[in-house]
Formats: sequence, C-alpha cells, structure tokens
Amino acid sequence: MADLLWRPAPRSRLTAASPPRSPRWRLLPSAIILAVVALVVLIVPLVVELNEQYVDLAIANQPPSAAHLFGTDELGRDVLLRCVYALRVSLTVGVVAALISALVGTAVGALAGSIGGWFDRILMRVVDAIASVPHLLLGIVIVAILRPSLSAVIISIALTHWLTAARIVRSEVLSLRTRPFIDAAIVGGASRLQVMTRHLLPNVAPQVLLATTLMVPHAVWHETALSFLGLGLPPHAASIGNMINDAQRSLLIGGWWMSLAPGLLLIITTLAVSGVSGVWRDRLNPKRRTELTW
Amino acid sequence: MVNLEIDRVSVRFALKGATVEAVNDVSLRIRPGECVALVGESGCGKTVLASALLGFLPGNAETSGSARLGDVDLLAASDHELATTIRGRQIGLIPQSPASHLTPVRTARSQLEEAARVLGGDALQAAERAGLLPEHLDRYPHELSGGMAQRVANALALVGDPWLLIADEPTTGLDRDLVDGLLDEFRRLVDDGHAVLLITHDLAAAHRIADRIAVMYAGRIVEVGPAHEVLDNAKHPYSRGLANALPERDFLPIPGQPPLLTDLPAGCAFAPRCEQATAICEDRPVLTDDPHAVACHRPC
Amino acid sequence: MLTANGVTAGYREPVITDVSLTVQPGRTVGLAGPSGSGKSTLARVLALLHKPFGGTVEIDGETVTGFRFQAVQRTRIGVLFQQPRLSVDPRFTLRQAIAEPLKNQDRVEELASLVMLTDDLLGRRPHEVSDGQLQRACLARALALNPRYLICDEMTTMLDASTTAALVGVIRAYQRESNAGVLAISHDATLLTRWADETVRLSAPRPR
Repeated sequence: MADLLWRPAPRSRLTAASPPRSPRWRLLPSAIILAVVALVVLIVPLVVELNEQYVDLAIANQPPSAAHLFGTDELGRDVLLRCVYALRVSLTVGVVAALISALVGTAVGALAGSIGGWFDRILMRVVDAIASVPHLLLGIVIVAILRPSLSAVIISIALTHWLTAARIVRSEVLSLRTRPFIDAAIVGGASRLQVMTRHLLPNVAPQVLLATTLMVPHAVWHETALSFLGLGLPPHAASIGNMINDAQRSLLIGGWWMSLAPGLLLIITTLAVSGVSGVWRDRLNPKRRTELTW
Repeated sequence: MVNLEIDRVSVRFALKGATVEAVNDVSLRIRPGECVALVGESGCGKTVLASALLGFLPGNAETSGSARLGDVDLLAASDHELATTIRGRQIGLIPQSPASHLTPVRTARSQLEEAARVLGGDALQAAERAGLLPEHLDRYPHELSGGMAQRVANALALVGDPWLLIADEPTTGLDRDLVDGLLDEFRRLVDDGHAVLLITHDLAAAHRIADRIAVMYAGRIVEVGPAHEVLDNAKHPYSRGLANALPERDFLPIPGQPPLLTDLPAGCAFAPRCEQATAICEDRPVLTDDPHAVACHRPC
Repeated sequence: MLTANGVTAGYREPVITDVSLTVQPGRTVGLAGPSGSGKSTLARVLALLHKPFGGTVEIDGETVTGFRFQAVQRTRIGVLFQQPRLSVDPRFTLRQAIAEPLKNQDRVEELASLVMLTDDLLGRRPHEVSDGQLQRACLARALALNPRYLICDEMTTMLDASTTAALVGVIRAYQRESNAGVLAISHDATLLTRWADETVRLSAPRPR
C-alpha cells in the first residue's frame, strides 16, 4: 500500500482540545513569578533578619535608591525587606486559612451530601445563613472576640471561607452517590465509610484542591483588609495590610513608594496564584469553568 | 445526483507513546434513497468515522483519504465551511439519546423554529415529515415520551432538508416497540429519497431496514453487501460469527477478543480468532470489488 | 429463593404496585416490560439497593429488614447495570474494580480469565476500553463474592451480539457450578426467550 498522506483533522469549535477561553499563556509567567516569590520569601528571612522595633529617623522617608530599592518608611525601615517579611506572613495566613477552610468545607459538604434528607437541608440552611452575612463583617466580629493575633486572623478567615468548599463537595457527592458504581460497591459489601473514602472523596478531591488554591489569594486579601482596618496583626508586625495602613499617612508628604511596593507585590502574587490554578481548572474540566470564581 | 463517496479514509489519534488506529482504509459509497448500516462492536471505530464525516474529531486526530460530498471533501473542509454549508443542510445528525439532545427549558416548537431560522428551512414541514402532530410541538422535552422525543430530534435533523442522515446508535436503550417505530420512520425517509447511514451494534435493527450492511472490525470494513446476503450468507468469518451469535440463531460467541487499536496485527486483524486462518492470513486481505465485497483470503 | 412479596416501590410516586416475583436457585427468570413499567425499580429493590414503600423481600428464607448499607444480606447478590461506563469508578483500573469486593486479591486473575480479560486490559482505566470489555469487568466484579443471586438490569443494551452471547455463556456456566438464581431484565424478547427459563412481564404504568 502506498504511504498514506496524513493531515490533522480540522479543528472544530465544538470539540477543540483547548477551549478558546483557556488562559494557557498565563501558566509560564505565573509559575515563574510564584517560584521567585516562594524562593525569596523562604530564603531572605534566613539571610537578613528584620528587627521590627528598629528605628532610624535619620534615613526616614527616603525615596527608592540603590541602597533601599523600594525606599524607606517614616521610621527609616527598608520597605523591600519589610515587604518580603510581610508577604511571608500574608502567604502563611492565606495557605493555612485556605487549608483549614477546605477541611471544614469538605467535612460539612461530604456529610450533607452523603447523609442527605433533613440533615442536609438543615446544614445547607446554616451555610446559606453564614453566606448571607458579609465575610469581612463576620471576620471582624470573630477577630474582635478572639483578640487580634496571627491565629485569630487565620481562624476568622477559615471560618468565613469554608462555604464554597462545602457547596462544591456537597453537590459533587450528591451527583456521585446516584451513580451505578456506588450501588455496585454497596452490593459488594462496602460500608458507608468505605464508599466515602474509596469513591466519593477521591472523586471530589481534585475539585477541592482547586478550590483551595483559588482560596489562597482570596484569604491573603482578606488578611490584608483586616490588618488595614487595624484588626489583624499587631501594628509593628510586618504584614501587607499593616504596611499599607501605615503608608496612608506618608501619601500626604509624597511617600508614594510606601503604598505602591506592598500593593504591587500583593497584586502580582495573588494574580500568579490564580493564573496557575486557573489553567489547572481548565485542564481538570473545561465544562466546569463557570462554577468557580477567579 | 450527489453521493457521499468515502474513499480510503483512515483516522488515527496520537496518544502519549501510542497511536490509536481507529479507522483504517475505509471506502464506502452512500446514494440517495439508500440505507447503509455500519455494524460492529463498540470500540471498532464506527463512531469515529461518523465524527470524521461531521468534522467532530478531537484535536489530536489525523486523517487521510477523502470523503467527497459533491465537490466538498469533508475531511479537508474548514469548520466554518462545514458549519455553514454541510451540517444540518446536507448532513443531518440523529443523536443517540434524544431526550438529552433537546434543551429542557424550551418547547419543541421553539427549538425547531430556531433551527429553521438558522438553516432556512420550514419547521412545521419538518415536524410533519418526522410524524409529529401540531399539538406535540408545544410540549417541553420532559412532557414528551421517549418515542416523541426521538421524533422531535428527527425533525430537528430534517429542518435544513439534508439528503443524508447519520444516526449514531439511535436505538440504544429504547424498547423494542420504539426501536421498530424509529426504524420504520427511517425507512419512510429513505423511500422519500433521503440516504441514511445507520451506525449500530444491533444486527437485528440493521437487518430490519438497511439496504446494505457494512461490517466493521478493528477499524476496517471486512464485508459489505446487500443486507440479507451479509446476514444470511456471510462471507467473512467475523460477520458469520456475529450473525450466529444472535439469540434467535446459535447464541454462541465468537471466541477471543478484538485486537487493541494501538497494536493491530500486520495481517488480517481477525486471523487470531479465526478457525479458518492459515499462513496466507499474515498478509492483509483487500476488500474485493463486488456488490457483495469481502476482505478475506478464505471466505466462507 | 429470592422473593419479592407484594412490593410497592418508587421514588416520590410508586412506580410498581403490589408486585410479587420469585427467583429459584439455579433458575433464570426473565423480566420484560415497556420503559417506565418499573423493571429497574424492581431490580433495585431485589438487589437490596432501594427500600420499598410496602411489601417484603425474602432471601433464602430470611426477611430483609434493612436496605442499602443496612442490608446485611447484600453480598449474597450480584448486580450488573445497563451502562458499564457509569458502573466503574473512573479512577479505577479494571483490576482495581474487580478486586474491590475481594478480601483476598489472588482471585482477580481467576475472575478475569473467567470473563476473558487479558492482563493488558486489566491495567487500563474505563475510558481506555470498550463498553464490552468494561461490562466483562463488571461481570467479574459481580461474581467476585460468589453471589447466590445475580440481577442483570438491561446488561446487554450496550453490547454487540457476540459479547452478549459470551457474557450470557459465562453467567450460565457460573449458574451450573454454583446453582445461583438469575434475574435477567431486558426489553429484547428474543434474548429472554433464549436465555430465561420463564419470563415475567410487567405491564405498562397506569396513565396518571
């Protein structure tokens, strides 16, 4: 037989492997930015120590220069170094809070979805009730009860952000548990716990992990907002919110760099996180693109 | 008169570390007023062939050969060309599960009228040809019985007055009565001058309405001919085995399993399962050029 | 004996009302009827997967008191469904699917050879095999715990004639060896005449 002339099949809009909205071009820059941020945040604090009580009014309010790339603040502290420390705190808060909220959300969603009936209805009304209160307001109340501290901020964010994970897990579990393979497992002698751990949780895990990473930037912003309002970390601690809060006063004397540096770092880092997870989300299931928010 | 000329079409998919040869060197001609059934077990490549004809292959597919409809080669045409001149206008698709093919929130009439606006056909005429009464049209899909939903899907495929209808496993999951009703509808359309390509694993359905049956095995057509000839007087051992496996006949399976499409033998793909295979079967048999054609060195 | 006594069952509305059916060990009962007549609902009740509104299910003389997770007798029953693709966890390989009910993994090979699945296929996931190959794996899984009764709910719908004949052949061989009872549900009357010892028809649902 003669050699066949192969040509690629014409791309159909309906079956194209990469949907047009897939922001794949974001993957590489986002991944590089994330890697750089992670390295800097992990390594710099090992090399350069930040003395949070340090004051040197002789070099206060200096604009960016070779010695201080992002300038100095009103107490003469290096803005870049404080930014690095602040980002570390913010990312820690973001990651830990996102993990806790994913755990709480998965537990609630899995219970509601697998037990169903009245239990499900009551649990989901609780979720609706919490969702109806603005997150920030609820977060402020929780911090106010617990007194501002790192763990209070984390708890406040986690307790207001598990709702998304709970809803995702519940709806996935509800649709999974009517599948014949669950029936087959039951007839095969599986217990409720085995069905949960072998079939339901592993099948929702990718969705939950994705929701968790999408939660990280959200949680970072939340922490920033709490600190900005003076309800987050102690005022001397380096956190992005504290820095932007402090920098407000300096704006009046022309100290733009004190707001710009932490603000830009926050925006770039959170965009990078959502850029990476956004591409992952599209790969996971293009049909689900609208179910999760950026 | 326009025919569909499928000429030496092959489709393969590039996967990591393997190539799936889903359709291999398939030639088939379909004329108006004729129903051709493409029969084979699931995974033999028949749905891939249908997708190729409609331009619905995924991005990692490659094709060779041609499928000519008039002066258009369906395998080389752009998506835009297929969408504006072929799909719905020259080729209608009858889906596998009509109930999920219809939009649940709109009535049959509004869906038909939308299709008519896009394709420039007549919704009411199509509905009538599909055997729908006017009072059925104002129902929502969940208010339609399985048979009625199937007729709405048929009407949708007929709106643009295509001469060729491709039906991919239309009988799966339907009751025997509904299957018979649907097949009779197809027969009526064929007698009206349409051509129907019926893709199915259901030999009984193929036997009931097809003029010609093409039997596909491991991506190749191994036998094609008049329906009753292929079923009652099969020349290829695979077709013969398939016909004999019917519950109204011997009800005995063909021994063995089909080869993997990633690892096809160089010779006859059926030889490992064939009682009559000899050394000659290590060469690939060629489909003969008869009205009842077979690709076998030792036909029954 | 697997018996349904006056079973009324459904979801919100009853689909079947006061239905009785008996499957004797070693026998094959065919169950026919148009769609919507409640064949699948009856199958799910007899597989102890769906609690009926009324009536009882008896298995080898014991009256079943709990359904789904509460059904202690459920491992005495094997089930096969219409859509093999939905019947296997998409993350599992065929080997894992067959092994799921087993405590002793050694039997996977034996079960796989019973349904003629090769080693190469056992390592694949559902999306990498055909409906026929997947249904073979489902049959191996259903036979894993040596069930006393096998319930086949439209098992052959997605299968070609040869695979249908092959799987029915495997089920008959298992039946001869174990004297299990089989409930075969199908809309294909020809198949049931050939396969079943007797066929019961459910009538069409009453129009509401």
